[in-house]
Order: sequence, then structure tokens, then C-alpha cells
Amino acid sequence: MSLASTASAKDQPSLLARLFARQELALLVCLILVLAFFSATVENFFSVRNMTNVLGQASLALTAGIGCAIVFISGEVDISIGSLLATIALPLIIIMNDTNSLLLGVSGALLFGLIIGVVNGYLVAYAGINSLIVTLGTMFIMRGGVYLYTGQRAIPDDASLDSFIALSDGRLFNIIPYSAVIAIVLLAAFGYMMQHRPFGRQIYAVGGNQEVARLAGYDVRRVKFICFIISALLATVAGIILAARVGSAQHTAGLNFEFQVVAATVLGGVSLAGGIGSLTGMALGVLILQFLSNGLRGLGLPTEWQLVITGMIIIAAVAFDEAKRRRANGG
Amino acid sequence: MSVDFLHPGEGPAIDTNVSALEMRGIGKRFPGVVALDNVDFTLEPGKIHALMGENGAGKSTLIKIMAGVYGKDAGTVRMRGREVDIKSPRDSLKEGIKVVFQEIALISEFTVAENIFLEGYPIGRTGSIDWKKIRADSAALFNRIGFNVDPAARTGSLPVSQQQMVEIARALAHEARVVVMDEPTSSLTPNEVALLFTVIRRLASLGIAVVYVSHKLDEVFEIADTVTVLRDGRHISTKPIGEHTNDTLIQDMIGRRIDNLFPRQRGAAGSKVALSVEKLSTAKKLIDVSFEAHAGEVLGFFGLMGAGRTELAKAIVGYDPIISGTIMVDGRRLAPHDTRTGVRLGIGLLTEDRKSEGLMGELPVYQNASLASLGGFARLGFVDKAKEHQAVQDYVDRFRIKTPSLFQQIKNLSGGNQQKVLISRWLMRGLKVIVVDEPTRGIDVGAKSEIFALIDRLAGEGLAVVMMTSEMPELLGLADRIAVMCEGRLTAVMSREEATQEKILNAAIG
Repeated sequence: MSLASTASAKDQPSLLARLFARQELALLVCLILVLAFFSATVENFFSVRNMTNVLGQASLALTAGIGCAIVFISGEVDISIGSLLATIALPLIIIMNDTNSLLLGVSGALLFGLIIGVVNGYLVAYAGINSLIVTLGTMFIMRGGVYLYTGQRAIPDDASLDSFIALSDGRLFNIIPYSAVIAIVLLAAFGYMMQHRPFGRQIYAVGGNQEVARLAGYDVRRVKFICFIISALLATVAGIILAARVGSAQHTAGLNFEFQVVAATVLGGVSLAGGIGSLTGMALGVLILQFLSNGLRGLGLPTEWQLVITGMIIIAAVAFDEAKRRRANGG
Repeated sequence: MSVDFLHPGEGPAIDTNVSALEMRGIGKRFPGVVALDNVDFTLEPGKIHALMGENGAGKSTLIKIMAGVYGKDAGTVRMRGREVDIKSPRDSLKEGIKVVFQEIALISEFTVAENIFLEGYPIGRTGSIDWKKIRADSAALFNRIGFNVDPAARTGSLPVSQQQMVEIARALAHEARVVVMDEPTSSLTPNEVALLFTVIRRLASLGIAVVYVSHKLDEVFEIADTVTVLRDGRHISTKPIGEHTNDTLIQDMIGRRIDNLFPRQRGAAGSKVALSVEKLSTAKKLIDVSFEAHAGEVLGFFGLMGAGRTELAKAIVGYDPIISGTIMVDGRRLAPHDTRTGVRLGIGLLTEDRKSEGLMGELPVYQNASLASLGGFARLGFVDKAKEHQAVQDYVDRFRIKTPSLFQQIKNLSGGNQQKVLISRWLMRGLKVIVVDEPTRGIDVGAKSEIFALIDRLAGEGLAVVMMTSEMPELLGLADRIAVMCEGRLTAVMSREEATQEKILNAAIG
């Protein structure tokens, strides 16, 4: 006795359709098209120097994007990361100026990031406040707090530790920026966690269907709580790299950064509704936007146009995704 | 001391002398309601125990307490003699209690195999998930229970009936001592029901205590060893199934005798054609379906799962697209083919899927009722609230809809009362034809007879009622004429007098 009707052969989509159904593959094709287009039209675009430069620029969004994507997958949002970038530079720079120790500075920054993550996570997961509202609130609070502390002036990095400066311009084997190395290592680690560790799958389950996850014995609140902590800590890492780059703590650091990250994450196929998407997709989304912006600049297009084009691409990508999903569900 | 369905015979035998689960004096209150009052419920290993009762009787509350979804306010729970404190689903799972809820509890983006192991992933030495074992074990599990589905398929892409089987399979993937099934057959085909029963008997033979919650008397008589009936949150009876008849069981459930489930009050059907469908075809299912429905009659459509009843219902009210054919409502053609025109011409659908296509759960009763006829209450473009409330109140009185007030969120009403509100929605609009799709799905016996009386009354008031049903008694009890479908075609139309179960089934098989 058996249950009939698994999908019959004729229901199987073609190979091409199935390849395209893999989000990451479609994104990879887009990235290759972007690279090909600008290699043909912009001089020196397809050079080791330019490629690794762009990778270095992308490392901030790649690092913070991991957290953003994880929070999205859990079914929540975190838009406080841009302000966090600016905020954690304060303890970082101040401690380093006082102690001349990168380790202490970084520890202070991470501790601060941890506190913000705990606050965001507690308010969302345990107090039950909408995550958009919570992180919008902490976004304003932190941005305002930094401004209150620094005023118009920036707090310069007087310690000028070599190890800190290396974060901005050092390169592994003189090729790959350290910041990119950090981003890639983090991506690999968290990517592995999301696909192969029980906790990663719990995040997908919670975002996919909270009630089902609860019935399966998961502590939904704890999972969300931890996701916000991960997000804040990764944004802290991005903030440390940014501070090394600008060499100071200032209130405009990371302004609108959260929206760049959200844009790239959504472009990478991570659904705001939760449960869908991957870190690979997010990373491809970041790279597509970063190379696009680099190439458009190479073509001499002003920044304003880059914004317009980025906006159109994001809407088009999500619309395409939605259409595909609708077709897959036969509706 | 439990049974792992994957590796039977590896654990020590289950001690059949101690109750698998013993609940004593269970009490549970919700604001304003006593959901359970001093209820006892005892499960013996290896026995199939049916839990019955009308909606609101407390069955769901009781199994939710077992599952750790609700905490109890009073009473004790013992597992094999040991008192346990179940505070969360996790605690319940740890005790080996597996509840298969009516609502599908699977992550639709996950593969079937991953869903099977959702409650506990097999972990390799490094702490990572052993995907190979997940695939192999779920394939082995499906093999054992004769369940033919691809473990690598995306769960959301499967039909509901197969998803339900996946859930049942999941209950068997880990060690279980008690398996609870809440209305497991509501979306299964007869074949799947047979398979399910085989699986349930196998579970029992392995010493697992099975709780079977169902409204369907015939199923309970077929599968259960013992029946416990709850009513209004109280324990009414626990008896071996052999001591029950249909009548005594119904009597226990509703506390009174139902002499006739189908009280026919209406007169003979008229001959005026209210709905005429000609050579209707749709892209997905229907092929050349033609029929007429008369004012004042109940035209029953019967068919097995996948015969195309729901598709027909949705097509004739203008909800789903058609590729050819005409639909005339009261002599006027339904064109353009959309629900707006349908409603204007006087045809409406009472959907099979109340939750997603009928109700606006968060909204109050009155807004759910008046949805289709707001235009009628409008003055200068604003809804006249007083008029709206009065109209809804009329229907609440007429249909004896049990609701604390018009402002109660409709999700808090029982299934039967929700259904009455939805019927009001269409009547308020002034319909000529009402299409009802599985009108009593998920509704219990007492409320069912009220829905039947309501349908009878609708026809009595001159509406043409087109009723899609998979329940033979409902069909034979209510319909004036019976149409049978098979794989998208109409295979027979007969009058109630000439219809027999055999004739209908033959036509349904094709």
C-alpha cells in the first residue's frame, strides 16, 4: 500500500528552470553580467587592484550584512546597525587613546555592541515590541547620543596603532585587504552555522513559522534574542573597520549604512517575511551593488544616478523573485 | 522504556500494567470561560483512545495541555506513574508525547526530511547536523509505513493531504509513548485514511498509547478501543467502544437525542432555473460541465478527492478563471467573469477554507457579516453604522448565532457559528444562488444539524443551493438532486429518489 502521486516526470521543470530556481545561481549570473559589462566599458575595471579595492569596500556591508540577513531570516528586522557603527567607534577610539591597546579598544567596542544587541533583542523577543520600531528607536537614540558626545568635531585616533591602521589598508599577501579577509571568514563561519548547525536551522524554522517552531520544542524568544546579539556584534566588527578607515569617531559615520545593507540583503533574496534566503545570496547582493556602484563611477555617472539605478534594481529584483515564487506555487 | 518507530524492538518492552498517561482533575479557565473542569483522562499503552465532543467541549484544550501549549490551572499529570510538570512543548516532547495538530505544523520552506527531524536533528561528532542520516532515516521511515513521497521535496510544494501524512510520520521519527492525532483525516483521501489506520494500529501494537480526536463517528467505531466524551469542559463518559452505538455516542456528546440530523422543513423545489451552467471548462480541472440548478432546491455535488468540486464551486461564482462555457445566473450571463459581477447577479460562495478565504479573523462579527453589502448601508458614501448593526443583529437573532456581542472577534466563535455569520454575509446581500463548499468541515455533530437546518431553510426561502460535499450522509440527507463528478467531468445527475450509495459511488469512480 502506498500513497500515489508524487510529482510525475512531466511536472519536473527543465534543467534551466531548476538552475534559475536556485536563487544564488541567478544572482551569480547577474554578478557575472555586471562584471562583464563594466570590464568591457570601463578601463582598468577588471584589474586585480580594482577588484580587491571593491572587495575591501564591500567588506563593511558583507560583515554587517551577515547579521542583517540572520535577523531577517528569523522574521525580524534590525535597522540600528548604521548608528551602531558610529557609536561603537567612541569606546574604541577613547579606550585606544587612553591605553594604547587595540585589544582593550576592540573589547570595549564589542562589549558596547553586545549591550546594544541585548537591549534590541530583549525588547523584541521578551518585551514583544515590533522590531522595526525597537531598532528605529535605538537607531535614533544612538545617533543622537554620539552627536551629543562629539558635537560637530570628530574624535581622532591619536594612538595610531599600527595594528589598527592595518585594518584599513593592510593586505593579506599584499593582495586581499584584511577587512575582506575578516568578512570572508565570518561569512564562511556563519554560513556554515546557518546550514549545518542546529541553531542555524532553528533560526530558519522560527522565521519560517514561529508557531511550528514553538511546537517543535524551540525557544522562539531565545532564538530571536540571540539573532539580535549576533547582528549587533557583527555591526560592531564593521564599525571597528570603518573607524580604522576614517581614523576617528564621528557622528556622521555609517549614516544610511543600514539601508545599503538592507538593500543588498533583499537583493540577495533574503525575505523580510522570514525563513527564506541565505548568506551566500546576501553576499552576492552586496557584491552586485558594490561593483555596480564602482563601475558606474568608472563610467563617470554621478552618485545621484547610482542611487536611482540601485533603487530600480532592488524593486525589479524583488518583483522578479515574487513572480517566480508565485509561479512555483502554481497560483 | 519507549518505542522508536525507526528501530522497533531495540528498546525494552513497554510495561502494559502502568498507565501511559494519567490526567486527574484537570482544570483550565480562560477569561470568562471554564474550558476544563475536573477532567480525568487515562491512556493505556497499546490502546487507541478516541476523544470526542462538540466544538467547545474542551478536547482541544485538553490535548493542548498534554502538548504543553497551555498550562493547566488544576490537576495532576502522570506519565507511567510518575508525576510530571509539562510547561512547554519542549517538556511534552521530552516525555515522548507527540501531538499531530489539525493545522499543518511544518515549515513549508524545509524539505520533507528536515521537517521529519525538526524536533531533534541527528548530530554528528562535531555538533553539526548529520544530513545524510536525516535523508536515509526519513527514507527508511517512509518505507516502513508505506508512504511514497520524496524526502527531498520542498514541503510547501506538496498537497495538504501529503503534508498531513508527513506530520504523522514525524510523530514516529522520535521515541514516542503517547501519540495524539487531532482530526487527522480531515483532508485525507480514502486511501490515505486506510493507510493512516494501518499506521495507527501498528503504533498501538508497539505499545504506544494513541489518542484519536475526531468528529467522524464511523472512523471512531472502526479504530478506537475506548472512547472518552467531553461536553462543556466536563468529563461525560469513558467506555469501551463496544458499549456504544451511534445514538449513545451522539447523546453523550450533545446531551440530548438527535432524532433527525436532517430535518426537512421546506416544500418541493420549484422549476424556475436560477443557475444554468453550460459546457464549462477550466485550464486545470473542469471539462465540459453542464447543469442547471432550480430556485428552492438543494443540488448536491459529490465526488472523491480531486474530482473537481471545489474547482467547480470557485469557477461558477467567478472566482477562478474559465477557458470556455457560459454561466447564467437568474437568466443573466456572468460576464465579465469575476466575483464582483457574480455578487451583483446574485451568486455567492461559502468557501471550504473558512480561515483563509472566508473569515477576517481579527475583525468583529458585524464587519464579517456586512462585508459584501456595505453599499446597501451607505449614505453619502459613508457606512450607516446603526443600520449596519441592526441588519447584522437581525441575522444573529434569526440564525441563533452564539456570540457575546456583535463586536466579538470572529475567530473566537465556534466553527458552526462562524459558518452562520458567513451565510449571513451572503444572505444580507440578497442572493439567488448560494454555492456551499463542504459546509460542515470541521464542525461537530450538534452544530452540523443546525447548519443542515439552515441550508434547508435557505432553499425553503427560494434560493438555489449548490452544495459540494464529500460526505455521503450529508448528500443523501439534504439534496433534492445529486450530481456526481469524477476527474473534472460530470458523470451522473440523479434525483434523490433514484439515488443509492452504490450508484453514487460508481459514478464517482467513473
